[in-house]
Amino acid sequence: MIAFSNVNKWYGNYHALNDINAEVKKGEVVVVCGPSGSGKSTLIRTVNRLEEIKSGELRFDGQNVHAPMSSSELNRLRSRIGFVFQSFNLFPHLSALDNVMLSPMRVRGVKRAEARDKAMQLLERVGLATKAPSYPAQLSGGQQQRVAIARALAMEPPAMLFDEPTSALDPEMVGEVLAVMRRLAEDGMTMMCVTHEMGFARDVADRVWFMDAGRILESTEPESFFRNPQHPRAKRFLSDLRSH
Amino acid sequence: MLTDVFDILRDNWLLLLVGQFPNGPLGGIACTLILSVLGIVLAFPLSVALALARLSPWRLLNWPATALVYIARGVPLLMIILWVYFLVPLLIGHNVSGFVTMLCTLVLYEGAYLAEVVRAGIEALPNGQMEAARALGHSHLGAMRLVILPQALFNMLPSMLSQFVSTIKETTLGYVINVPELTFAANQINNQLLTKPFQVFFILAIIYFVVCWSLTRAATALERRIAARRAGLAGAKPGKPAPLAVQPLSAEP
Repeated sequence: MIAFSNVNKWYGNYHALNDINAEVKKGEVVVVCGPSGSGKSTLIRTVNRLEEIKSGELRFDGQNVHAPMSSSELNRLRSRIGFVFQSFNLFPHLSALDNVMLSPMRVRGVKRAEARDKAMQLLERVGLATKAPSYPAQLSGGQQQRVAIARALAMEPPAMLFDEPTSALDPEMVGEVLAVMRRLAEDGMTMMCVTHEMGFARDVADRVWFMDAGRILESTEPESFFRNPQHPRAKRFLSDLRSH
Repeated sequence: MLTDVFDILRDNWLLLLVGQFPNGPLGGIACTLILSVLGIVLAFPLSVALALARLSPWRLLNWPATALVYIARGVPLLMIILWVYFLVPLLIGHNVSGFVTMLCTLVLYEGAYLAEVVRAGIEALPNGQMEAARALGHSHLGAMRLVILPQALFNMLPSMLSQFVSTIKETTLGYVINVPELTFAANQINNQLLTKPFQVFFILAIIYFVVCWSLTRAATALERRIAARRAGLAGAKPGKPAPLAVQPLSAEP
């Protein structure tokens, strides 16, 4: 579904992504972890071309993402990739319901009534049907992020990308967002998640990619990653996590 | 002194209100307000277009817009009025009224100032808003129209209203090209009376002050109401208005 081959990216002289070769298969849940500055967010942002790459190839659902294409082709491609941000980025001038309805109507041309029904179903699915008329400022962080997930799902993407979806949340709100993501995974959604939630990685992920200094150092099943990390950097990372 | 003021008002209130109308062109406060409203209403779309061009990565859009904004902001308003007054008839081959001249000048001048307000409003929004809209598949212009501008324009409302107040004060310069606005009317009265300039221009100052002050008050009230609605406190006690994302630019001529 998402295939990186020999992907490289530089910020000036800094090698942000170093020869990435990896694949997220259809229906798979991949958790990307690693120390800060290791390139996790950069990696996930190259998938819908919020970041450009220098060399290599990145395919999403068979389509070469970084090939030259018209802006309308790129918009169509992006509309098929669900993306959830660390800072939610809900549109504050729109109600929760309108946030979810906006893009199906304006990008896909879905009729208002249809978009509305779909949006209500999705808000139901993330447990926020009663909050449909609320504005983002009236919602807690966890509720905002669940609306953001519903908004991304409204475009019916074949895969969802999560860029540290719980890092900006108060601890007591992390659980509700992870629960929604867990249910998505159970429903068979293809997911790529940058997260520090190792409990989620252990329970839900099919694979864990461990990154450091722009490379994927390990790509294994969570069981073996947590029990028996191969790379010394991964060992240190895990022991640092456990020590507090 | 006060009796003089009342006498002048009693004898000339119609002139101050509508000028020579209906026996001549519409003037006085009516002219001032119509000029200001038309000026700001027509300047607004121009300012949005200029701001988008200023933010565009394309030099073909960016450079002319930037040049226009810098020139309009770097030249005294009176200078632009005189340029339009003498040049436009040469360009189009026939005379235009002072009102039209003044209106064109105001649209150009206010457009340039408002463009910077709009640009600041757009740039003050977190980058994540544009990113989120683009990630959902909206085009750049679609994201601007549906996500960025509604928020930016809302944040700019107070600045735009203060710009409107500035515009009202700037219409006084129409006096030099014989636009029959309020200052022109007051000067007519002064020329008739000859002996009471202080009283006449006192009235003039008071009228401008009342109009501008009440508009400023209305702007503050509006700002509070919308801020309360946005924060979901509709019906709750009115608090202090939220801090402005955009500080009003000073646009005094």
